Amino acid sequence: MTEGARMVTVTINKSQYRAEEGETMLSVAMRNGIDIPHLCYEEVLDPYGACRLCMVDHVTCGKRTMMTACTMRAKEGLEIMTDTPEIVKYRSTLFELYLSQAPKSDVIKEMAARYGVTKTRFLKKIVHDDPLGGKCILCGLCVRVCDEIMGGSAIGFINRGPSTVVNTPFFDENPACLGCGTCAKVCPTHAIEIEDLGDTRIMKSWSGTRIALQLCPDCGQYFAPKEMLEEILSLPDPGIVEELKPLCPACRAKVIAKGMFKATFQGSVHHG
Amino acid sequence: MAGSAMPIQTPGDLVKARESGLLKLKPGRPRIAVGLSTCGIAVGGERLIERLKEIITAGGHDIDLVRVGCIGFCKEEPIVNITIPGRPLVILHRVSPDDAEAIVKSVLNGSVLEEKALCKVSSWDHITGSVIYGTGFDTIPDYHDITFFGRQTKVILRDAGFINPEDIDEYIAVGGYQAFVSAITSRSPDEVIDIVKQSDLRGRGGAGFPAGLKWEITRKAKGHLKYIVCNADEGDPGAYMNRNEMESDPHMLIEGLLIGAYAIGTPDALIYIRAEYPLAIERLKKAIGQAREYGLVGENILGTGFSCDIQLATGAGAFVCGESTALAASIEGKTGRPRPRPPRLTDSGVWGRPTDLNNVETFCNVPVILARGAEWYRGIGAKGNTGTKVFSLVGKVENVGMVEVPLGTTLRTIVSEIGDGGAGGKAVKAVQTGGPSGGCIPARLFDTPVDFEHLNEAGSMMGSGGIVVMDEDTDMVDIARYFINFATSESCGKCVPCREGLKHTLLILNKIVAGKGSSADLAMLESLSDTIQMTSLCGLGQTAPNPVLTTLKYFREEYEALIKEGT
Amino acid sequence: MDDTTFHEIISRYPSPSGRILGILRDIQIQEGYIPRDLLNRVSEELNEPVSRLYSLITFYSFFSLHPVGEHMITVCMGTPCHVKGAEKILGTLQSLLGLPGESSDGKYSETTEDDMFTVEIARCFGACSMAPVIHVDNDLYGYVTPDQIPDILSRYGWKGTGIGKPQKGSDL
Repeated sequence: MTEGARMVTVTINKSQYRAEEGETMLSVAMRNGIDIPHLCYEEVLDPYGACRLCMVDHVTCGKRTMMTACTMRAKEGLEIMTDTPEIVKYRSTLFELYLSQAPKSDVIKEMAARYGVTKTRFLKKIVHDDPLGGKCILCGLCVRVCDEIMGGSAIGFINRGPSTVVNTPFFDENPACLGCGTCAKVCPTHAIEIEDLGDTRIMKSWSGTRIALQLCPDCGQYFAPKEMLEEILSLPDPGIVEELKPLCPACRAKVIAKGMFKATFQGSVHHG
Repeated sequence: MAGSAMPIQTPGDLVKARESGLLKLKPGRPRIAVGLSTCGIAVGGERLIERLKEIITAGGHDIDLVRVGCIGFCKEEPIVNITIPGRPLVILHRVSPDDAEAIVKSVLNGSVLEEKALCKVSSWDHITGSVIYGTGFDTIPDYHDITFFGRQTKVILRDAGFINPEDIDEYIAVGGYQAFVSAITSRSPDEVIDIVKQSDLRGRGGAGFPAGLKWEITRKAKGHLKYIVCNADEGDPGAYMNRNEMESDPHMLIEGLLIGAYAIGTPDALIYIRAEYPLAIERLKKAIGQAREYGLVGENILGTGFSCDIQLATGAGAFVCGESTALAASIEGKTGRPRPRPPRLTDSGVWGRPTDLNNVETFCNVPVILARGAEWYRGIGAKGNTGTKVFSLVGKVENVGMVEVPLGTTLRTIVSEIGDGGAGGKAVKAVQTGGPSGGCIPARLFDTPVDFEHLNEAGSMMGSGGIVVMDEDTDMVDIARYFINFATSESCGKCVPCREGLKHTLLILNKIVAGKGSSADLAMLESLSDTIQMTSLCGLGQTAPNPVLTTLKYFREEYEALIKEGT
Repeated sequence: MDDTTFHEIISRYPSPSGRILGILRDIQIQEGYIPRDLLNRVSEELNEPVSRLYSLITFYSFFSLHPVGEHMITVCMGTPCHVKGAEKILGTLQSLLGLPGESSDGKYSETTEDDMFTVEIARCFGACSMAPVIHVDNDLYGYVTPDQIPDILSRYGWKGTGIGKPQKGSDL
């Protein structure tokens, strides 16, 4: 909760809840254990509105309008309903479209099944040698996280409409890629394939872009993208003792636990 | 010929400019004006004016030769106006370079080539001014006797085809910039907004939102840096009203935009114009340049302290960029993928600033509203649907061209009277209004008044003003398929219902058209259309199923005829 | 493209509004397409990641990643043109020039093997009164019928034989 934020009362499915003014209704619902399906929402990013699954009924003056919960901002007296017959009907058709769009995704199959949709009337999309394994739903999370949070801007949307795909420019290896793997972490259908082969990380989904990995002199494991690591370590904050720099997090932790170095730096140590 | 580059520093200067401009429109010598907008040029207008120039120069004749815009009777192009001092202006049609010699000869004799004459104009009401030409040529029909012209009400298109769009003096001659100068020297921004509100002017881009109200909201929005933007992305296939407005009378748009900028309180005006309109882009650039030379655009206009500059931003071939948030993204150098609303554009638009976005034609209405008053404007059209609307009447209709009528005029008047019915005498079956976002209206409903509400009720919408006529030979299922194909290829691809839903809608329609469809397919079409309409992120997706829904509603028998028997 | 021209294009757009699309548009008009190396130069000059520029070029129909043929034929497929038989015009062109019937990425732009002709689709030129309409280079042809096509093509050096790939997937 943000300090100093105004609190308001909202109504979801006839029950009342407290929320911060301006908080997204999707976030309010999730916090209170109310299930609203969603695929393209990520707390740190602005609401995107692409998946259309979080649609709810906005109730005002006795009328109901469908709106996405991720773009609805909490204000005093706001009322929504999450499972009206209309919402269920449209959600069903949407899930059918998802099943035909990403026929290889188990995540989609499970999610659809949870909402009562186990098959689709629509033609399934078959792409030979799909770098995203028939699982991509074009939610845009990988693109946005790479562009807006990690600053790599290595991948983007290509083409438009039904021909849209995500990949690197010219479908070539892109040196702008940091190799951080955040795209794979954030992908809701686990469509992005990354393989660490010896001293190289291969972004298999991103046209085979290769990133050199850093070797830990202590344990002999390759543990992080070299260049990215160098950049982070060169930042003054957290300042890190020179001798600890080339070590992987696990080895670093061991060394510190042995008491060989005082904790002279600010910042936290993540135990791998 | 460019303007005489005399800066306007006082309202008195404008009056002087008007007088000298009138001497160009009605010189003391004959004037030959060739209609040269995209249509005119396409049918050889450039060769015609070249030929005329050759003849006039070779003979050393004292004749003014100018290029003018398009008078809107596109099927009669190339069109040439002849002005002989003291005589009515005569409109010649279907003129070819071979007629050039005869034309010049007749003009030197104080007459016109009668066999090429369509009609004559004794005096013309430019709404913000008027021009009296003269009397005579009794054997030539009067302009108002030509049904295509006579049944129209020219307000927006009042100057088109008469004035030289590349000369600011001719715009000023007929009263141009009077409203703007008067507004910034004697009215407050709030008064200007009030007048526009009272006129009940509604957005001419299709949504019909009250323009004055939008200006007021933007004026009151938080933040002191704002944008006023003109949507000149006219993407509906078959609609070219805005193109004609910009090519034939660019200063009219500029004046409206300047007044809007003053009302909202911003020095930053932008015109977002589609790449496919190179002539309009060129004429607008020229016009802005001339307005700048005259001090009507730029810093401290007329010493009032109000500054405004107008920038052009071009599109790059994406229909979706006509949608307001996509348009804003495009200006910012991004792909045209719409953003969810809230926030509305008036709170956060281009570069995050409060932005007012209006269609070309909405702005074009502003100078006349301010010049003649809100009450005068309300006297045209119907209650809640005031003013005129320009339509492009195209397709299988006899008279193809620009049609301007008061809102509330019926489809029958437009198609059967002004349009003179189906081309080649065929029976008209339906019209499509509102472009890819609209729907098909069958002939039996042609008594429907053309206004925002009635068209919505029929399942279609006004859109930007394209009216495509279809006749007895048109296959309505094919039309539905055409529009879905269009929407699919123009979809930005961001949201699932539009991207995936339209893709499958097209697959099903292809199946049906190929004779391989079943009744289950019809049911799927309806269910898909409903979902796409209700769950899409932006207007493109939300309205894309309209052609399918209206053809299913009014022409279901055509679908059923294609369905395999017994399925 | 030489440095002078490149910087001249950049300098035409001092203000950020409409800048990126404007620059790319001018390059497209100048070169006939967007060469990869120019894209990289624009990326450096404007400090825009290449992936974003590539997104723009593949999103907007105006841009092409491949050089086009000597003569550009654009067939209007707007509603009035469609209603007056534009599909047959396109089909005739495809058949005479040996071009495929479908596009893989939604943007139809096909060039004959001898690089003489490129055929593209446009959504509307706004010359609806003369439907169906095609553009060949800077010339506009209206009221076009399929049997006029061979004659129109020969004005631009077409020799009458469809030199090119055999048609695939067309449903004429």
